[in-house]
Amino acid sequence: MPLLELKDVDVFYGDLQATFGVSFALDESEVLALIGANGAGKSTLLNAIVGVAAARRGSIRFADESVLGLPIERIAVRGIALVPEGRMLFASLSVEENLQMGGITRRKGPWNLDAVYSLFPMLAAMRKRPATQLSGGQQQMVSIGRALMANPRLLLCDELSLGLAPVVVDEIYRAFARIREQGLAIVVVEQDVRRACAVADRMVCLLKGRVTLAGPVESADHERIAAAYFGE
Amino acid sequence: MDWISTAINGALLGGLYGLFGLGLALVFGVMRIVNLSHGEFIVMGAFLGVFLVAAMPQVPPWLMIVPVVVAGYAAGWLLQAGVVNLAVRTGDHLTPLLLTFGLSVVLRNGMVELFGADSRAIDGGRLTSAGFDLFGLHLGVYPLVVLALSIVLFVGVQRVVRHTEFGRVLRATADSPQVARLMGVAPERVFRQVMGLSIAFAAGAGFLLAMRSSFTPFSGVERLLIAFEVVIIGGLGSFWGALLGGILLGMAQLLGQKYDSNAGALYAHLLFVVSLVLLPRGLAGERR
Repeated sequence: MPLLELKDVDVFYGDLQATFGVSFALDESEVLALIGANGAGKSTLLNAIVGVAAARRGSIRFADESVLGLPIERIAVRGIALVPEGRMLFASLSVEENLQMGGITRRKGPWNLDAVYSLFPMLAAMRKRPATQLSGGQQQMVSIGRALMANPRLLLCDELSLGLAPVVVDEIYRAFARIREQGLAIVVVEQDVRRACAVADRMVCLLKGRVTLAGPVESADHERIAAAYFGE
Repeated sequence: MDWISTAINGALLGGLYGLFGLGLALVFGVMRIVNLSHGEFIVMGAFLGVFLVAAMPQVPPWLMIVPVVVAGYAAGWLLQAGVVNLAVRTGDHLTPLLLTFGLSVVLRNGMVELFGADSRAIDGGRLTSAGFDLFGLHLGVYPLVVLALSIVLFVGVQRVVRHTEFGRVLRATADSPQVARLMGVAPERVFRQVMGLSIAFAAGAGFLLAMRSSFTPFSGVERLLIAFEVVIIGGLGSFWGALLGGILLGMAQLLGQKYDSNAGALYAHLLFVVSLVLLPRGLAGERR
């Protein structure tokens, strides 16, 4: 039984259809790279999983229960956490308070403030600072830490590398190895295919809202990915 | 000496004015809603106090503030759950404004219908008439108690907002209800609690005011005006600013009345206009 299962998911923005019959599944402790060009529907799918965007057709099941139509906050409580595109930290809250907001669901697990500070040591020294005064990379670390504080079973990461210096992205992806050790399932949405595939077990490539390639990362060579990514 | 005494009494009255603004500042700060029926809830708190004090003469009148505040919380919670959350859901800032405006008209006229237009007050007994002399100044015990209570409430609210999980949730929800949802917070629930607290403060302040001066069902408009001025002088969403704004308004009103006994609240309103010109973002807003 997969942890997350999407079947024939169609998401619309008003009359505009963003995804067309997307299906994929994810097991416990598995990392899935969701890749595709800008506008392929990657973030839309993440938003549909967490309830921000409503899927009009198809099914989304998490831990063998449908989450389709559930309020966003109840999906969060069930154990799905999102690292949203653009970080979306709470501007009035300090770094530590932002992290604590992630723990509101009171789910039990290995992640707490100490564990997050151990993962990103530089945050410990900035715990009292307003979160939005940090650099982009540091804000991304807070955003990841905030999602981990929920002790989710499924972590969704939307464009972690967007707008960040390569050296910072390296650091964030290095932290990924330690996050994986805790055994949670992860979906990584990236435009940077190389980075996403380096941390993933399987990949799903989207093009204009449709799945064009899916399978284990090692089975997909460069040409097949390029064809699926660009539609050549 | 007379002027100093008046200024101090004004500051004492200002504590109560600060309380008028506290609930309004809370609702605006978290929900970005201007509750135009805030004044009517202040008056309803006063009416409830009048009836409770009359119904239970054996109980000290000041104790009746407890059921008034509890009833205020319940009324605010129900108001938010019943109608305001629906208005918020429209996403249009004008809808809650029009809703609370309509509600204020209904409540005001409902009170006239139920209780008549006569002015009333709560007889606070010895507490409200007691006074003492300090360095040649005559001060009332009751205004001092009210100011102390206001300061305790302001400190309490400030501490809750800054240092508790509930406060973090309030600030996070104020920043972005949608992102707060992703953390597992139901903003509607937070809004119900905030409106409950706001109306509890309003009803409590109404009760306290009714123990020092009379009121009618039409008094809500004047109370709302003061609450607005307090919040705007203080800086929108600032609790300390609201307390300071209340104290300045109270002083301006009493000093103005001493200068010109027919002035009423004119000088308080003038102070508001001057502060709007000089410090448009309010005392706390300018400091930021």
